[in-house]
Order: sequence, then C-alpha cells, then structure tokens
Amino acid sequence: MATLIQQIINGLSLGSIYALIAVGYSLVYSILMFSNFAHGGFLIIGGYFCYFALNSAGFNIWIAGFGALVGAGFAAVATERLTYKPIRERTSVTLYLLIASMGMNIVIENIFVIVAGGRFRALPPVIPTTPVHLFGNATTSALDLISLVTAFVFLGGLQLFLTKTKWGLAIRAAACDLRVAGLMGVNTSKLISIVFFVAGLLAAVGGIFLSVRYTLYPQLGMITIKAFVAAVIGGLGSLPGAVVGSLILGLSEMLTAGFLSSQLRDLVVFSLLVVTLIVRPTGLFGKDVKEKV
Amino acid sequence: MRKLFVLCMAAALCCTMAAGAMAEETVKIGYLAALTGDWAAYGQTEKNTAQLAVDEINAKGGIDGRKVELVVYDFRGRQEDAVNAVRRLLEEDKVSAIVGANASGINIATAALVNRAEVPQIGTVSTNPMVTVDRKGRVRPYSFRICFTDPYQGKLIAWFSAKELGKTKAAVLYDIASDYAQGLREFFIKSFKEYGGETVADEAFKGGQDVDFRAQLTKIREAGADVLVLPNMGKEMALIMKQARELGMDDLVFVGGDGYAEFMWEIAGKSMENSYWINHVSPSDPNMAKFFEDYKAKYNDECKEFVNGILGYDAMYWLFDAIDRADSTDPVKIAQALADTKDLQLHHATITMDEFHNPLNKDGIVLIAKDGKGQFFKKIKPE
Repeated sequence: MATLIQQIINGLSLGSIYALIAVGYSLVYSILMFSNFAHGGFLIIGGYFCYFALNSAGFNIWIAGFGALVGAGFAAVATERLTYKPIRERTSVTLYLLIASMGMNIVIENIFVIVAGGRFRALPPVIPTTPVHLFGNATTSALDLISLVTAFVFLGGLQLFLTKTKWGLAIRAAACDLRVAGLMGVNTSKLISIVFFVAGLLAAVGGIFLSVRYTLYPQLGMITIKAFVAAVIGGLGSLPGAVVGSLILGLSEMLTAGFLSSQLRDLVVFSLLVVTLIVRPTGLFGKDVKEKV
Repeated sequence: MRKLFVLCMAAALCCTMAAGAMAEETVKIGYLAALTGDWAAYGQTEKNTAQLAVDEINAKGGIDGRKVELVVYDFRGRQEDAVNAVRRLLEEDKVSAIVGANASGINIATAALVNRAEVPQIGTVSTNPMVTVDRKGRVRPYSFRICFTDPYQGKLIAWFSAKELGKTKAAVLYDIASDYAQGLREFFIKSFKEYGGETVADEAFKGGQDVDFRAQLTKIREAGADVLVLPNMGKEMALIMKQARELGMDDLVFVGGDGYAEFMWEIAGKSMENSYWINHVSPSDPNMAKFFEDYKAKYNDECKEFVNGILGYDAMYWLFDAIDRADSTDPVKIAQALADTKDLQLHHATITMDEFHNPLNKDGIVLIAKDGKGQFFKKIKPE
C-alpha cells in the first residue's frame, strides 16, 4: 500500500511538470492549429536564463525566475515573428508551420550547444529538495510538492486570464475561428504574440523545475515529447485535457515502472497514445471543436 | 689539409659503424595512439607516458644494455588508420612488439594482422573479452591487454560489496541500451551470489532518454536493498543518486564501476558523498605519486587522462620486463614471456596472465567520493 501511494505521488509530480508543458502545446494548437515543436526550445531558454541570472548576475531565485519567465516569453514571441509569421503570411497550410517548428527546436538547441556548451549544469540549490514524509511510509521531495503547487497556481492563473480578461475573451474567440475573430476587430497579430508569450512563459516554469530536478543541458527539451503525447491524449487544444492527460501519463509511467517493469514504460505510454487515437482521435476532452480553450 | 680530410673521413666511418652497431642493439617498440581526432587527448597522454617510460629505461642503460626506441603512429580513432599503422610497424619498422590501442574495437581490428605476423600487441584500456579471444573462444596468441575485462570488473564490484562492505542485499539499476552496463550487471549478479549475497532488485532504464528513476528507486526501497550497484556512465548515475536521496534513501550505499566522472558532482552534489567506484587506477594512488610528478616535470602539464596515462606507462614496463626475461628481441619469444608473466609488480598493480591473456586477479582500485572529489580508498583483490 505504501508503495502504491509512493508511486502515485511520483506519478502526480511528474504529471504536473508535463501539464505545464502540455498546456503550452494546447494553447498554440488551439489558435494556430499546429503543434509547436519548438516548445522544448522555449523550455531550455527559460532554464538557461534562470541559470545565468542566478550564477553570473547573482540574482535571487525570485528575480531570476521572473526574468527567465519574461525572457522565455519574449523569445517565444520572437520565434513566432521571425519564423512562423512569414510562413503564415505566405500559405495557409499548417503543415509547413509544424515542419518549421521542428527546425526551430533544433536551431535553439544548437544555439545553446554553441553558447553554453553541451555539459550538464546544475542550478544552485534555490529550490529545496529535502525529503518530505507523507502518510507514514511515503516520501517525496519538497521540490515535487512545490512543483505541483506551482503548476496549479500557473494553470489557475491562465484559466483566470482566459475567462476574466478582454484578451482572454479574444483568445477564446480566436480559438473558435481566428479569421472571424480578426474580422470582428481583434488584432490577430497581437493576439498570436500574446499566446506565444504565455506559452513561452509556461515553458520556462517547466524548464526551471526540470533543470532543478534533472539538471540543465541543451537536449533537456526532449522531455517535451512526453508532454506532447499527454496533450494529444487529453485532446489537443483543450487546456483541462492537457492537464488531465499529463496526470494520466505521469501516473501510468510510474505505475508501469513500479509494478510491471521499467522497460515497459515507454511501450505503455506510446501504446496509450495509439489506442487514444484509434478509439477517440480527438482525445479525452476534445469533443467539441468549438470549445477548444 | 689532406691529412685532416682523411682523419675526418676515418672519424665519420667510425661513427657510422658505431651507430650501426648501436642500431642493431636497440629494441624497437611500436605504439599505436590516437594523436588526432576525437580521442586525441587520450592518445597524446599515452604517447607522452610511453616516451616517459622509454626515457627512464634508457637512462638506466636500457634492457640488458640495449637502448629502447619508440615508434609512434597515429590511428586518428579510426579502424582503417589503425590497420595501416600496424601494417607499417610490422613491415617497415619491424618492431618487436606493439603497445596500444586504447579501445577494444581497434584492437579487435588489428588482431588478425599481429597474429599473422606473430608480433605481440598489448591493449591499454581495451576491456572487451573479444580483444584477446576469437569468435570461437580460442585465445589469440599475440594479443594481450593490461586492463581488466568487463566480466572481471563485475566480479570486483560484487566482491567489494559483499566482503568489504558486508552487504547482502543488492539492487542493480542499469542502462538497458548499453552493452557495457549489461555485461557488468550480468557478471555482478553471478559473482554476488557466489559471495553469498542476494540481488533483491534488478531494474533497468534507457540511457540517453530516461531522466526520472523514482519508480525504480521506490521498488528498490521496497525490496529492502542495502547497496545499489550502478554499472553505467556519468549523468544517469548522478541523477539516480540525487533522486534516491530525495526519496529519503539515506542508508543505501552506492557502488559503481569506471563510469565515474568529476562532472557528476555538479549534478548529484552531496548525494555523491561516500559512494564507491571500482576503477582501473586512481590519480591519488600513493604508488603513482612519482609518476605524476615526473609527468608534470617532463611535459609541464597535468596527466589528466590518468587511466590512459598510467596503463600506457605500465604496459611499457610490462613489456620491458618480458623482453628482459625473453633475453631476445624476437617477437615470438617476447610474446611467450608476456604470456608467462607471473606476479609481476608494476606501478599500479601486480599482474599475472591467465590463459586468455587477461591479467588474472588484478588489483581493483576503489575510489571513494569524498569532499567533492574522487579519492583513492584502497586496492582490492578478490579471493
């Protein structure tokens, strides 16, 4: 029983990190109808911003974290302006955006290989990782609990932004139909920038927590593949779907590794993806195309 | 003037004759090193240490009065260049023996050549069993190695865990994508059983992909393991140690192989403290202190690739001893002397050859991770 509780805690904390990343995928998908594979790049941009702000500039974690979030947000906006926008203006085929995003992911990764080097970097111990005992036998680290709480705070904040603000309304309108929203007087160019800014910001939150947990290196963005799978299972374009899909994925990974075999972990994850696509191609929460956000 | 000319000619002739006589008496040893390419750092170090050994023996008057001459060729980290270099050493330079390379794949590639030419070759860090035996398991008569093999390292880890640390319940967490890790795991489990221990958990991960090991660690904790064996390479081991401590597994002892690297400290931090690593050599082995001083004095640089440096250096000393015992520069006799090596005291270890040309019961060096670096702990020799 203690083992089960332990594995569930492990799964939830992994899932909460996936959720932060998966929501970024869903957000961009809901507006532009393509999966932005450069999201992993935004994540490492956030991680490296935070690392250098802490180590070279000597800021504390709050300022460094804030800087990393804003920096990654602007990097995401710049990526959109430089790469996706010119493509969007020339063609309406979203497949080209998808391919471009794959390229951008590699570009960003290699920029960091050149600038920062391929070696592993650990963030200074700014977030406590001490063991925390729960329910008697189960143990988790303080980092896991903090990342779980942070994930929910940011996702809650996003939900408020989408439902309570004018730009949130515009984003939801654009998620239904970007062109019509444009015709109704929404500045779509600005709207897309805001969406990318938010996606980059969320990726940076995930990036900081991932770099504390798994250390920072240019290929860290690879982990977003799992988050993307989670977004697909939850239903691409649905934010609650991204969260639920992530938690399901985190739990199934940990329970498979814990009770069956660690070798079967990825097999189960990707089988889950295939089964979802066969049984319910829109994902768990993707039932109505008109309610994507 | 004419007289002077004759005198000069005579002097020159004498010199040439003397040189000719000298040349006959030198012992020519070939060295196969990667001086350029990806492995250049290792190869340069090996070349330097081999030259250091040669200079030392020549300063003492050589082997039985014969000076040693080192012929070094670059194989650029590539098999085809290694084959060409060895061919040249055998056919043009007519060396008595070859030392190098520092990689199993290269030694396996050149094995056919040296065995046909009947000239012995000593691998420095070539740990794969295939270096000295062929596909059918027969020994290659002219192929040798100075390092221990992967199976033997598994045995060393088992012996250290069971006998030195007194642990009886081991867990293994290994990289399923690595032949090296799989081999080490297999031989560890087998030997650990022989030493009276039990492997209570045998878990795997995918190297280069997985970064989260908490599911496996939770299982290991449930199984009640008191020692965790990590037969992998740097990054994953550091993450495993860090995550284990985060899960509150404070009493679990970590024992690893030669995948130890200094950069792991940055990832694992103080989780590294008091972990043990079974390696070929140690930079702080007291027996090697003079070697490191001499190296620094001669090359004005630290011997950073110390595993290569020490093994290359001692491979030369092993060969000097064999030539001395063979009392000949004939490659066949030298090979026989190498194969007959028994209880030879080198700098880093005492070696005895087994029938498959691997050092038998070689000392393993245990490093302990302490105070932010890997330090010499002790030498071990399993019974």
